[in-house]
Amino acid sequence: MVDLKTASDLVSSARQEGQTVVVAIRGDIDLHNSTELRTELLDILIKTSARKLVLNLEQVPYIDSSAVAVLVELLQRLRKSGGKIVLTNLQPRVRGLLEIARLDTIFVLVANEAEAQGK
Amino acid sequence: MKLRIDSDPAKVASVRHEVEAYCQRIGLDDKACCNMGLCVNEALANVICHAYHGEAGRPIEVGLDVKDGRLTITIRDWGSGENPIAKLNHKHDPMTPGGLGMVCLRQLMDEVVFTPQPDGMLLTMSSRCRHNGCSG
Repeated sequence: MVDLKTASDLVSSARQEGQTVVVAIRGDIDLHNSTELRTELLDILIKTSARKLVLNLEQVPYIDSSAVAVLVELLQRLRKSGGKIVLTNLQPRVRGLLEIARLDTIFVLVANEAEAQGK
Repeated sequence: MKLRIDSDPAKVASVRHEVEAYCQRIGLDDKACCNMGLCVNEALANVICHAYHGEAGRPIEVGLDVKDGRLTITIRDWGSGENPIAKLNHKHDPMTPGGLGMVCLRQLMDEVVFTPQPDGMLLTMSSRCRHNGCSG
């Protein structure tokens, strides 16, 4: 396991385990900061060449459509190389928006990081 | 309640919180409060990104009123006057970016009307109060 250095306060921790990167995000993500999150996550994917991105959203009470757009862009990018995104520890409002967007069946959603390992 | 902000993305969260607090005060249940906050968030994001094309410092007015068990939210801008509904595909593709904000409005509000103004757009959206005792 390798801890990754990150530049954004939106990322509370990031680590690489083989071809998997596990990133814990914190705070509300909306139009004001979704571009910052996009930059940070793209940077991590480029640096690590990871094929599986696990996003722990335990500390994310709220996201809006601009944050969803970031997740979709990352998923499209990873899928080109056979990769995937696993979302863990979703809070109710975050899960609710993913359901409205009909993305709850496109992303892999699991209860916690331990469950994400097997996905 | 009336709020006036400028088109700074950093202001959206505070308006969302004020809208949710208003909805709590009039007795809406927690889920309805969250939904109304989300709709206002998405409508404001749409104004900032599309009506004002990301230009900062432009005015936005938000109004909330409850009458006869119905919550009505208005959002007025002085931007491009484009009707977002006209650009929306009939069937939302979850893997195609864009348009999710309008999907939220259509799913979570009972009525969504964009009324072109000579100098911008007036969005009026309303919902029957789903509550623990909506007052008004």
